[in-house]
Amino acid sequence: MAVAIVRAVEAVSSVVLGKEEQIRLAVACMIARGHLLIEDLPGMGKTTLAHALAKVFSLDYRRVQFTSDMLPADILGVSVFDPERREFHLRQGPVFTQLLLADEINRATPKTQGALLEAMEERQVTLDGETRTLPEPFFVIATQNPITQAGTFPLPESQLDRFLMRISLGYPSAETERELLAGSDRRDQALSMKPVLGVAELMQSMAQVEKVHASPDLIDYIQRLMAHSRNSGLFTAGLSPRAGLGLLRAARAWALLAGNDYVTPEDVQVVLGPVTAHRLQGSAGGGPESSTRQLLESVPVVRRH
Amino acid sequence: MARLYQVPHHAFMWLLLAVLMATLPHLMRAPGWMMVVVPVLLCWRFLVQRGRLRMPGKIIRATLMVVAVLATLYSYGTLLGPEAGVALLVVAFALKTLEMFRLRDAYVVIILACFVLATTFLFNRDPLTTVYVGVVLVLVMAALVGINHAQSGASSWGHLRLGGALVLQALPLMMVLFVLVPRFPPLWNMQLNPERARTGMSDSMAPGEISNLSRSAEPAFRVEFEGEVPPPALRYWRGLTYSWFDGRRWSQAAPQHTARLEYVRFPDEATPPWYASLLSARGEPEWRYRVIMERTGRQWLYALSVPFTDKSGVGVARDKRLVSRFEIDSTFDYRVESYRFPVAVEGLEEWERQLNVSLPSSGNLRTRRLAEQWHQEAGSDRAFIDRLLRWFNEEPFFYTLEPPLLAEDTVDDFIFRSRRGFCEHYSSAFAFMLRAAGIPARIVAGYQGGELNRLGNHLMVRQYDAHVWVEAWLPAQGWVEFDPTAAVAPSRVEFGLDQALSDFGEQAGGFGANLRRNPLFSRLSHMTDYMDFVWSKWVLGYNQDSQFEILSRLLGQVNPQRIAVALVLAGGGVVLLVLGWVLWRSRTPGLSWWQKEHGRMLRLLNNRGVPLTQGTSPQGMVDAVAVSYPSAARLLQDWQRCYEHMAYRRPGQDPELLRRQLVLLRRKAAVAMRGAPRLMDKEA
Repeated sequence: MAVAIVRAVEAVSSVVLGKEEQIRLAVACMIARGHLLIEDLPGMGKTTLAHALAKVFSLDYRRVQFTSDMLPADILGVSVFDPERREFHLRQGPVFTQLLLADEINRATPKTQGALLEAMEERQVTLDGETRTLPEPFFVIATQNPITQAGTFPLPESQLDRFLMRISLGYPSAETERELLAGSDRRDQALSMKPVLGVAELMQSMAQVEKVHASPDLIDYIQRLMAHSRNSGLFTAGLSPRAGLGLLRAARAWALLAGNDYVTPEDVQVVLGPVTAHRLQGSAGGGPESSTRQLLESVPVVRRH
Repeated sequence: MARLYQVPHHAFMWLLLAVLMATLPHLMRAPGWMMVVVPVLLCWRFLVQRGRLRMPGKIIRATLMVVAVLATLYSYGTLLGPEAGVALLVVAFALKTLEMFRLRDAYVVIILACFVLATTFLFNRDPLTTVYVGVVLVLVMAALVGINHAQSGASSWGHLRLGGALVLQALPLMMVLFVLVPRFPPLWNMQLNPERARTGMSDSMAPGEISNLSRSAEPAFRVEFEGEVPPPALRYWRGLTYSWFDGRRWSQAAPQHTARLEYVRFPDEATPPWYASLLSARGEPEWRYRVIMERTGRQWLYALSVPFTDKSGVGVARDKRLVSRFEIDSTFDYRVESYRFPVAVEGLEEWERQLNVSLPSSGNLRTRRLAEQWHQEAGSDRAFIDRLLRWFNEEPFFYTLEPPLLAEDTVDDFIFRSRRGFCEHYSSAFAFMLRAAGIPARIVAGYQGGELNRLGNHLMVRQYDAHVWVEAWLPAQGWVEFDPTAAVAPSRVEFGLDQALSDFGEQAGGFGANLRRNPLFSRLSHMTDYMDFVWSKWVLGYNQDSQFEILSRLLGQVNPQRIAVALVLAGGGVVLLVLGWVLWRSRTPGLSWWQKEHGRMLRLLNNRGVPLTQGTSPQGMVDAVAVSYPSAARLLQDWQRCYEHMAYRRPGQDPELLRRQLVLLRRKAAVAMRGAPRLMDKEA
């Protein structure tokens, strides 16, 4: 099974060039049942990556381009009156899908963001007093521009917390850049990709993630990381228990991708940045990445006393 | 008026309870009006806290105080002395609670509570009181915590727990101070009410007085023997002798003889001839023991005949008993060696002989005649005494706690009519008859018997063991003890008062004695007695002398420098112990062997200069070694795999095998790294 997942990673890599690490993280995030936030400047391949992921797992997906005049109904759906049958019926919004691409989520107003984020957490939508469950699996891959861009509504911490991981792609290397320029349009390539994995297999690997062994020593390491984030004074606010659970789940998924049935501290260290960077604010200034690196370096992997 | 300080609710309840409990032991002794006034004042304060009443104004407070002073003056006749002083303190203390306007006043109440608590020990020092004071102290501390933690929102139980912890943590330090801080003799003498303070045997005896004493189960003294404990029949504890008889009352000596200088010999005085002859004739001591005596307010001490002691301030009297230079007004302990003298070693002075045969010039004529007649018939003193004892034994004499009242000629009336009496009646009649026959005789007063407590292996002598017997001068043997009571009721000596009385169809002491016969109660009372014994011996009996003894055993030599050093060391030790305990309580669980092994590997790599940070994972260690020491990389890789098996994988491999491999690989890696120069060094 792990092999199939690895093939999926390879397939996506053939479209999104030179970003194998990020792709693995994205896949790990999905099989850990987490939502993914891709943050980067426009034109870095965020949407292409999202398309490719949807295609490769043959997921039913919709894409929503967020704008500042969008309303919650534009995402969740709306009740319309059917004059023939003389009753209201729900026209489902784009959220009723297996994979939702929320492009440039920080361009929408907080109200609309809130509607989506609630659906992400509860995996259900309540419309006109009627609760509807979202399809299974349900992923949100949101992309956003860095908040320094004009005309954006930054996501508040509480909503950032709903995303299991945040990754950014970054500029391609020189070689990748040349390859990119020589090849055909990446977006078209992504859209024409063949599925590698069925939904059932994806669900199976999600179930497998839960079974990856996390030893007491490893749990202890994660606990000490959490405690250090709260007590060291490195951050204005420490990591929440939800972040801790997410970290363990992400590490399990990463271990599974690496072909192991147990989690090692290295797995934790790899996913720590993507899982926690967007939840932490360094108290001494400095970027979130440098804060998590500091966290990693100051917590001993093995208890010393 | 300044804004009223509101004691935090939690703290207030503890504070009021502490005030009530601190005053309670005093209220039990205090005059009736205080029993009413103090609770009423505290209720008032309670209602103020509840908002039902207001604090009294200045005039009311001043009036209350004046009335309290006058009432105390009226009840005690004075404001000085411990009893009146403490009574005044307690009322003023209760009044102070109605004056808590500021935070400062609350602190004053807390400090006063501690002081009032301390005064409890002026009147009562038994273990139960001490525990009680400890409990109230915890309450006071809880109130103090509550006042200071008003904002923390901890519950009142939390305050109580913290208060208790504070007191408990102070205990070891208290013990160090108790043992080490030098004890001084009291700077002033606490004169408690002298009448109430005197207990036990008095310096004279009239019919009915000993039997009254026999109704009390209060402890008189305890004895701890070194070696063998004497059998019941030999447990005659001499306290004093009565040589003067005025027809009804026996007392210590005639007025003209009391001032005899050679009568008592104290250790630091010159040796009179009678003492010297006793000293030179004594052989091996028959009994060695330590007596721990309750407060009596009198000077005489109790011991088996013939006692010697090296206790300072205690002398031996000519009538073979121990006398203290001062009145015994607190628990007192002394070591005694008792010797037996089979023959007379000291002579009988003429004044002594006259004193001990003298009788009132008139009265009790029938008895006198009978004694003279029998003495002539018997032929010798010894035969006469034997006949008398036999007579007491065979004639229908009754042993009873409730003898009938006697007519003016008490001895005649007793011997020829009532024939019902307690030890004082028999001894009095016996001594009278001996004197009437011209044999020097006197009454010995003290205690007979004592209950052996197996827990402490000590004898407990209680007031109901009070006894008097007779001592007669026989020219060859000297003073010889005879017990006419034993002739009447032999079981008194063998089995104690209860048994003797029940032999004569009487029950001693009603309810109390019935309880004493209950085996469960008797075991319980043995336990409490043992506790009391240990308490008196080690806590109350810990005075200047025993401190010196213990300190010289601990320090070798007692001088201020050594005591200071010991205080600092022991105090510091206690603080460290408490600190260590607190740290130990909050310690993290110990490391597993593989975590320790990981630590060793980390130290090895650090020593070899492999660049590592705190957060380097085992795989990171492998990578770092691969850079610094390529030759050891394989070993590190294997080590890491083993470690992963132990720490992170599902258990499956044999831990013992993994352990050996880990150790082996680490040693090999150490060797490999020592042999190979570091890659970086080469580059440099």
